[in-house]
Amino acid sequence: MSVLTQTRQDALNLFEKLGLPTQRDEDWKYTDASRLKDLLEPTPVDENIHIKDMGITGLDAYRMVFINGLFAEAESNLPEGVSILSLAELEKNSVGDDAEGIAKLFTVDTQAPLINGFNAYNAAKASDGAVIILADHAILTKPLYILHISNQSNVIRHSFMIGQHAQAEIIEHFISTGDNKALSNSCSFVALKAEAHLEHSRIQQEGDKQSHVARVQVKQCKKSSYTFHGVELGAALSRTDLVVNLHGEGASCDLNGLFVLGGRQHADHHTRIDHKAPHCTSRELYRTVLDGRSHGVFNGKVLVHEGAIKTDSNMSNGNILLSKNAEIDTKPELEIYNDDVKCAHGATIGQLDDKQLFYLRSRGISAEAAQELLTFAFADEVLVAMRNQTVRSYVEKAAFAKLPHSDDLEEMLGS
Amino acid sequence: MATNEEIQQDLEKREYDAGFITDIESDTLPPGLNEDTIRHISAKKDEPQWLLDWRLEAYRHWLTMEEPTWAAVDYTPTDYQSISYYSAPKSSDDGPDSLDEVDPKLLETYEKLGIPLREQEFLAGVKNIAVDAVFDSVSVATTFKGKLQDAGVIFCPISEAVHEYPELVKQYLGTVVPQGDNFFAALNSAVFTDGSFVYIPKGVRCPMELSTYFRINALNTGQFERTLIIADEGSHVSYLEGCTAPMRDENQLHAAVVELVILDDAEIKYATVQNWYPGDENGVGGIYNFVTKRAECRGVRSKVSWTQVETGSAITWKYPSCVLIGDNSVGKFFSVAVTTNCQQADTGTKMIHLGKNTKSTIISKGISAGRAQQSYRGLVRMGKGAENARNFTQCDSLLLGDKCGAHTFPYVEVKNATATLEHEATTSKIGEDQLFYCQQRGLSEEDAVNMIVNGFCKDVFDELPMEFAVEANRLMEVSLEGSVG
Repeated sequence: MSVLTQTRQDALNLFEKLGLPTQRDEDWKYTDASRLKDLLEPTPVDENIHIKDMGITGLDAYRMVFINGLFAEAESNLPEGVSILSLAELEKNSVGDDAEGIAKLFTVDTQAPLINGFNAYNAAKASDGAVIILADHAILTKPLYILHISNQSNVIRHSFMIGQHAQAEIIEHFISTGDNKALSNSCSFVALKAEAHLEHSRIQQEGDKQSHVARVQVKQCKKSSYTFHGVELGAALSRTDLVVNLHGEGASCDLNGLFVLGGRQHADHHTRIDHKAPHCTSRELYRTVLDGRSHGVFNGKVLVHEGAIKTDSNMSNGNILLSKNAEIDTKPELEIYNDDVKCAHGATIGQLDDKQLFYLRSRGISAEAAQELLTFAFADEVLVAMRNQTVRSYVEKAAFAKLPHSDDLEEMLGS
Repeated sequence: MATNEEIQQDLEKREYDAGFITDIESDTLPPGLNEDTIRHISAKKDEPQWLLDWRLEAYRHWLTMEEPTWAAVDYTPTDYQSISYYSAPKSSDDGPDSLDEVDPKLLETYEKLGIPLREQEFLAGVKNIAVDAVFDSVSVATTFKGKLQDAGVIFCPISEAVHEYPELVKQYLGTVVPQGDNFFAALNSAVFTDGSFVYIPKGVRCPMELSTYFRINALNTGQFERTLIIADEGSHVSYLEGCTAPMRDENQLHAAVVELVILDDAEIKYATVQNWYPGDENGVGGIYNFVTKRAECRGVRSKVSWTQVETGSAITWKYPSCVLIGDNSVGKFFSVAVTTNCQQADTGTKMIHLGKNTKSTIISKGISAGRAQQSYRGLVRMGKGAENARNFTQCDSLLLGDKCGAHTFPYVEVKNATATLEHEATTSKIGEDQLFYCQQRGLSEEDAVNMIVNGFCKDVFDELPMEFAVEANRLMEVSLEGSVG
């Protein structure tokens, strides 16, 4: 048995051992994963997916398209001279020395935080994914846009390796078109070498029958910087584990999250930042706006290890419930084993600022429109950090469409 | 930085200044726990059948439970069969009528702790404090009973209340913390030996602050105190609880239960200074403090506040909670916790908002030094019916030394769109700029550190009743003593 087959077999064994998480697990207290059990394996559907005009149109970017978890080369547009490959392709051609390296891409690190059955299943069954290796000092001139379209369950596994001083922007976008219940299981592994920089967006906009389970695992070397934008707009149930390991001195990460949910949607983000080296900085900003009977869960944990002196960490989590049946559960945790730190977190739940409402109303804006405007502004605050304006305005539009709004406001914002 | 290191060293070496053992023969039950032990305790106290049945029910439930492991503390599990569950000072058999009949050695103990009962009686008119001193498990002296009786206030050991006010005890016991609530509460329900019982009748404002000093004395005796306070409509009471324990090398278990019932327009202020023996520099010995404290605001506009200063115990597991059932009820939690050497504390609060317009405030200050680990673990839950509920939470930690830890685990669950909540937490060491600022104005490093620590705790100390604030300040001074001299 080859190393690769063995690794994937190990992952399968691990999955069988772990099973799916239950609400008895502290990390899954508020999210019921049991209903996803039957959705792990894809049930093929005949329907074809037409990808024309899907995704963020008008974005000047390199493109990779994955249909039901498989790379669609014809729809893609890859840069020259940069190593961007399909995992499936790589696996097919793995021989000799390569095999071991490729096997590593399928290894599950059981010691890593927040590991669960879905991650093991992903390593065992992933059909494809993007493997991006950016050489030292390389700069990706245009963003890489990875579009995922599905109408059935799929398992995808990406690896992004950014070399020293290299820079890139990657946008992952998830859309589903199916009418049947299905599950997307996605893992993205990010490795940033010294002084590398990555801006990574994940826009989850799947249909209301689809569920989404994701893991983003980041390891950062010296002075590297990582910016994350997680946007949760779609899916019936969605869960993301974002695990950042600040491994090298002076590394910094900036994590932004926005949930705009309605109906019976459920979204859960568990973030975990490990400060392992001195002089690292972490920033986290999460905002949720919940309507209907939706349920939002945010768990942000910062762990400062012994020896990680001069740690600077700040987490902010704001939540607004628009309906009496919505629910938010939030838990901003700090675990600190060191005295030379500056850590803070804050969480708020509640209404809009009366003063701001008054200000708008005194200028002749209706109470309704003022409320909507402030809610939109509240959500938009997270998107300010998004540097790509095309992506930002796409997300703003999509989020705006989900928020309750009157014609007045639409006119006001010109959308 | 030199100052921090010095303080750290001082904190590590800080001696437990209340560590001495009073030599009094104890009427102690052999170690072990079974239904017979419970029958024996119950018989010793001449309890009615219903209470024995209640205890046995709790015990049977306890047998089915497992000791919780979710807290961020690490300790050798207790062997519940090696503990003696009953110990009473022998000299109390006759029941002293006045302080003069109390064993002089006992009085000496209190004097060493700075609570001279005689003096207190003498100073009654000035300080107005009634002390229901609990020595091990049996109350030996209760002062000011007369004055309280005039006001209609019942303040007596719970074992006495069982006989004298059975209908009140029966009506309220176990209604806030049920027998099977958690592992330690179930154990307490089965074997509790004594504690305080307070009933404030309708419309009465308790004429003095009530106070109970608990001490653990006989070797190998777990303390299982049970406190029940009922504030009837429109009443008001302030209750103080202080604890110190003698020095010894064996871990001792302390599993207390405190139940507060607050009816319409009533208010209870409950303050604790906890200074059980924390173990030595290497973490040998010390008290395991596993306490269940809960208040139920059952009436409209009822109020409760928990104020605690926690400096002792090897392991602390304590979450004074407020269940805000009545509309417009208010719950408050103020806490200062100091852990040094190898102490571990997992403490915090729960605010359960059920009624409309309910408000809660949480202020928690943690100071961690040496190799100590400290966690704030809190829950704020706004139920569906908690219209316009409001919460403000602030938990700050101060770290002294690079081997200690401070952790925050705040759970927030909100199911009502009109609820408002703010939570903020910070963790840091003493700022070099703050130190510099003070020193620049002529303060020595030590004074500067003391001043900063005092300022850090001020929000909580301000909430303590005057009499208690003195004790709290003394405790803090002791904790930081080395840094000033």
